[in-house]
Amino acid sequence: MAETSPGPKKLRLKIDGREYLVDATKSVTRTIVEHDRERHVEVHVPQTIYDAAKSVGIEIPILCHRDQLNLDGTPVPQAGVCRVCAVEVWMNGRPDRVFAAACCREIADGMEVKTVGKAQNGVDIEQTRRTLIELLLADHPAPCVRHREFHDCELELYAERYGLKKPVYTPRAVSKGTDFSNPSIAIDHSACILCDRCIRACAAVENHIIGRMGKGYASSISFDNNKPMGQSNCVNCGECMVACPTGAITYAGGKAPRPPEGVSMLLAEDLRKLPTLGPMFRRISPSFLKRSEGAVWARNFKKGEIICRQGEFGSTAFYIDSGEVDIYLDVNLGHLRTRKRSGGLFNRMSSLLFSREQDPRREERLSKSIPIDSSAGDLEYGRLVARVTAGELIGEAACLNFQPRSATVRAATDDVIVIEMLRNVLDMLRKTREFRADMERKYRERALVSHLRSVPIFRDLPEAFINRLRDRVSLLPFEPGQPIVTQGDPADAFYLIRMGHVKVYESYADGQVMVLSYLSRGQYFGEIGLLTPGGVRTANCTALDHVEVVRIEKRDFDDMIRLFPDIKARLQEVAEARLRENRARASQTRTLSLPQYIEQGLYIAQSLLILDLEKCTRCDECVRACAQAHDGITRLVRDGLRFDKYLVTTSCRSCRDPLCMVGCPVGSIRRKGDLEIIIEDHCIGCGRCAEQCPYGNINMHPIGHDRRDPVTGEVDHPRKAAVCDLCTDMCLDENDDPACVYACPHDAAHRVDGQAFFDQYLLGARAVSEKMQAK
Amino acid sequence: MIISELNAIQKRYGYISEAELEALARRLKRPIHELYGVASFYPHFRLSPPPKVSVAVCTDAPCHMKGATNLLKRIRDLAGDDKSVEVKRCSCLGQCDRAPAMLLNDYPYSCDREAPGAPRGESDLVDLARRAMAGEAVEHLRFSSAAKGPFKIDPYSSPDEHYSVLKQLLAQGGFEQQVIDKIKAANLRGMGGAGTVAFRKWQTVKDQKSEQKYVVCNGDESEVGTIKDRELLKNLPHLLIEAMAIAGVCTGATRGYVYIRHEYHEQIEIVEQELQRARTLGALGSNLFGSGRTFDLSVFVSPGGYVQGEETALLEAIEGKRGQPRNKSWDVGLMAGVPAFMGLWGKPTIINNVETFMYVPVILAKGPEWFLAQGINGAQGLKWIGVGGDVARPGVFEVPMGTTYRQAIELAGGMAGGKKLKAVCPSGPSLPFLLPSEIDVPMDFPAWDREGKPANPITRLGTSVGSAAIIVIAEGRDMVDLALNMTRFYRNESCGKCVPCRIGSQKMVDIIEGTARDSDLDEIARLSDAMNMTSICGLGQVVSNPITCVIRKWKDDVQAHLKRAVSAESGRTVAQWNESGQMSGSAAAGAGLGGV
Repeated sequence: MAETSPGPKKLRLKIDGREYLVDATKSVTRTIVEHDRERHVEVHVPQTIYDAAKSVGIEIPILCHRDQLNLDGTPVPQAGVCRVCAVEVWMNGRPDRVFAAACCREIADGMEVKTVGKAQNGVDIEQTRRTLIELLLADHPAPCVRHREFHDCELELYAERYGLKKPVYTPRAVSKGTDFSNPSIAIDHSACILCDRCIRACAAVENHIIGRMGKGYASSISFDNNKPMGQSNCVNCGECMVACPTGAITYAGGKAPRPPEGVSMLLAEDLRKLPTLGPMFRRISPSFLKRSEGAVWARNFKKGEIICRQGEFGSTAFYIDSGEVDIYLDVNLGHLRTRKRSGGLFNRMSSLLFSREQDPRREERLSKSIPIDSSAGDLEYGRLVARVTAGELIGEAACLNFQPRSATVRAATDDVIVIEMLRNVLDMLRKTREFRADMERKYRERALVSHLRSVPIFRDLPEAFINRLRDRVSLLPFEPGQPIVTQGDPADAFYLIRMGHVKVYESYADGQVMVLSYLSRGQYFGEIGLLTPGGVRTANCTALDHVEVVRIEKRDFDDMIRLFPDIKARLQEVAEARLRENRARASQTRTLSLPQYIEQGLYIAQSLLILDLEKCTRCDECVRACAQAHDGITRLVRDGLRFDKYLVTTSCRSCRDPLCMVGCPVGSIRRKGDLEIIIEDHCIGCGRCAEQCPYGNINMHPIGHDRRDPVTGEVDHPRKAAVCDLCTDMCLDENDDPACVYACPHDAAHRVDGQAFFDQYLLGARAVSEKMQAK
Repeated sequence: MIISELNAIQKRYGYISEAELEALARRLKRPIHELYGVASFYPHFRLSPPPKVSVAVCTDAPCHMKGATNLLKRIRDLAGDDKSVEVKRCSCLGQCDRAPAMLLNDYPYSCDREAPGAPRGESDLVDLARRAMAGEAVEHLRFSSAAKGPFKIDPYSSPDEHYSVLKQLLAQGGFEQQVIDKIKAANLRGMGGAGTVAFRKWQTVKDQKSEQKYVVCNGDESEVGTIKDRELLKNLPHLLIEAMAIAGVCTGATRGYVYIRHEYHEQIEIVEQELQRARTLGALGSNLFGSGRTFDLSVFVSPGGYVQGEETALLEAIEGKRGQPRNKSWDVGLMAGVPAFMGLWGKPTIINNVETFMYVPVILAKGPEWFLAQGINGAQGLKWIGVGGDVARPGVFEVPMGTTYRQAIELAGGMAGGKKLKAVCPSGPSLPFLLPSEIDVPMDFPAWDREGKPANPITRLGTSVGSAAIIVIAEGRDMVDLALNMTRFYRNESCGKCVPCRIGSQKMVDIIEGTARDSDLDEIARLSDAMNMTSICGLGQVVSNPITCVIRKWKDDVQAHLKRAVSAESGRTVAQWNESGQMSGSAAAGAGLGGV
């Protein structure tokens, strides 16, 4: 395998007399369904004439083609039915007999393309395009509903561009009719140009309601078996409406989201006029905006007023339209620790908060930066507040990924205007080129440096090199479930997570997978493959939710480790450690046989509390002991899976798939090298991890006193997440039992590690019972 | 397979009900819109309960010339307001030598001069319809053979010899490339009309590495005037089966389909019988003549539509989709647009016309030189032609390639009623027509020399033998009316996939039908350019052929047309022809689409 990434092959292409060198292929993500399971794969597909022309700045007119991505990130397949993109193609000095559809035709080396002017046989290319528009226009109820309201029916825009007014051809004698059976989506068949966009959009979201029916001039779109739309199985997702280029499928009113009490919503027209976001909203289908009225609104804040609070759940994102805001973490930096107290046997413990300086823990991350959900960059361990100015987006991850607010945002000036939007609007905005470009530019300018520096390895990277990287990295969005790197593929880039969670897992030949880790904002992946010459990906990395990554190309990464041997050495250390852990885990899991035992991750659990049910009298002494040992809050529930005569009680079992790590808004929960979970000091106490843990093993622990906000007067109860610590601090030496075991008066409770339990207890018990049966 | 499932439902219940369609969608795990899209696309499928009696009169050129419009009117009058009777028009039924023709309860009836008890003219057809409406059982017509043997295409003098070419090849082994080389040497062309060299498809499919390949015969013969495959299938089915088996063993395909239009009940039956016979003889099946090689065929009955004759649309139909042509090689690049690379279910597929396949046994039996020598007047090989229109004895003939159109007219008994000749359509509506002064041109496929100059007389006239659907037009007929009739045929048969053909064909009809204006000629020229150059398939690219050709060559008729309102049918609105079922018989009629 080549060490340097070759990049796509280049082809010579002549467009309208000018020579260009263009990439032969482009990479797209395809969804493959196998055995009812979806898989996303990145494939390189040949560039079409349309793509290639666009890449050199030539826009070939399109109508049925849609130059956008589907919701799942896959490209919309071409239909090639409107023929508006017709071009003359020459190969080997001879033109094709007929024109080609530029949206479909793949480019080839030495190809010559004529997009305007006279074709070889004297036919004017632009004129045929004009004729096609005239044909469509003849049957189109111009101005259609869309053009009347928003002046952007794509067909009528072409008509204006070509100066076509009165239809040349006789209009259709009888209208194809309308369908208002759906309260929120209106259908005007006569405005439909049969571009098949809605059909493709409907299929892309797996709804499969819209199709073509009939034949020839009488064909039309239909729902299910030609049902009125409102009686079909349509789920009103609105994708067809967004895809429709004309007024054939438009918003018909109906129930829309409502802004909070006392806040007036922004109408579609207002959105298009906003000074900052307006140009971006103008890129979105007006039908969609119309339908989304109520899903976006503006709010004014005076200095000191809270915009959102850390730990709360919120389904909106905030675009700071004017003014300045402070974004800060209101936490006691520190972790819970149980200390011995003098006194009676069961009253000897108390939990206190310790900072990492006071109480360094093994493998604690010493990063200075605390990732927060803002486009402006992260906070620092020593400085928990940042000033954010207009033009930044806050709460993107909370909105898209349903994760709690990572920080509190408070107006810092009296003139703060915030555009608050729901998920569907943010999602559409993120798909527009302008919005993405704007966010990307700001990210490069403001956040990239702090983001890169937040990774301990890059902390010392010189300014000059970061400046060099600034323009060379790319920011890539990934949809939930979409693969970012695939195990076995050649390593071609290094990734740093800006938003969302990435699941890292290994797949084995037998189809089993092992989750190695969940990575979140500020963490990185992809270095292992890059550190070995000709390296390949050692694991799969897949977007768990809406993810955005910073991609550093192999060549830049190579430069970096060549120029800075320190970084290389540190990266190598981390890479080796990661590999070691992975190998250890893999070898542990491969020899297993009891499926449920394995599924539950018990085998690799460091420590299990098992109760021998033949001895246990359900006296709950263990639970009480745990509570007493931990300030009255138990970390133990006497309930769980049964294997043979043993009950494996619920306590952190260091799962194979540690779901608790998913969704932490500040990335403070993670796995240590030995699988044990650690909660970092900057935990904001939102309780997300406690909700996520399927076994109820993470508890929220109140700390300190309630606090009252000086401006708003709201009361806050500070909390910290705590996970079973096996009473490590209580035990004087390694052979001491934890409180729960110590407390059991019947010798029913035992602490064992997963493998010992399997080998000694389970297999032993089975051998005995088999013997009994044999007798 | 979706089409056969739909056929089964229709056979059982007479139509495809909503409930049945939904049940089928659940069973096949397909979206309901997809099945509805398919069922509403093909004219054969009914989506509402069938009437007691259904009559469909062909109104395309040869029938139109023999008074189909009047026949349709008479049967309509006969039916009156009877709701249990359905009277509609339909597209060419492949009975052009026996015009006029109609379908009575889905079976064809036409004026067969030789079959005993067959109708002899319009009044007999009306009478048949009357009997059916009165509840009488009307017997299916047993047609006579329109082509008279012996045929040079058949190398066998008795049925006992059938399949011996295949048998010999298999016995000798190592023949695959030799066979293709011989087809190449014989310069066998695509007889469906395109005339491209046939060996190339075979060679490409042979060279592809694929576990599965297919051999498909295009027997959809639906172009106005084309009737030769009907006679070939009826008289010589063994040649087709043998040729397809040879194609299979040469290229490594093990499975094939004979695609036949559903109106050819007789041909379907004959081919099915021959398939049985071939299996008994060992010419088909899992062990061809003891060689251990496998090839089997089945008949695929087309659910209807001229556009299905377009090879990729035909494949879509077999795959159970809407029969819309795929984007072409010029649109998508060689691999994806060409069946030899990506054909049926994306696998390499040989797809040839009935006649093309049928020449293979004789070329192998008698040698390419023999085949080449059959041609006259500088052309090579043989050709099956159909001659219809204003001739005394329309029919199907096997002639040497290079036969002139004058000779073809003579074969068909000369001009009917001794009338003067006005025009000859060499290939139905699809290729430029010939003036009387041009009919001495030898029929052939177009050819060009290295410099791109026409290399034979027919190329110089800008036309071709095409599918050899020869329609002879006598003096006194209005060429504009003929062009309008042919343009309507294309409009009715457009699949609707691409804009230029779907809307362009309708607007072309509108222009010709409408109040004549001087600007019409410019508009037609402009529309013609756009349709010819941007349509996805050949159908859209030739829609304008009849009218542009008439404008070029029959200027008097055009001038006369511009001076008066056009034909008897002019002024009718789209709604009216929808009502009379001119579009596909499905529920797709324009009005009330999804309306609530």
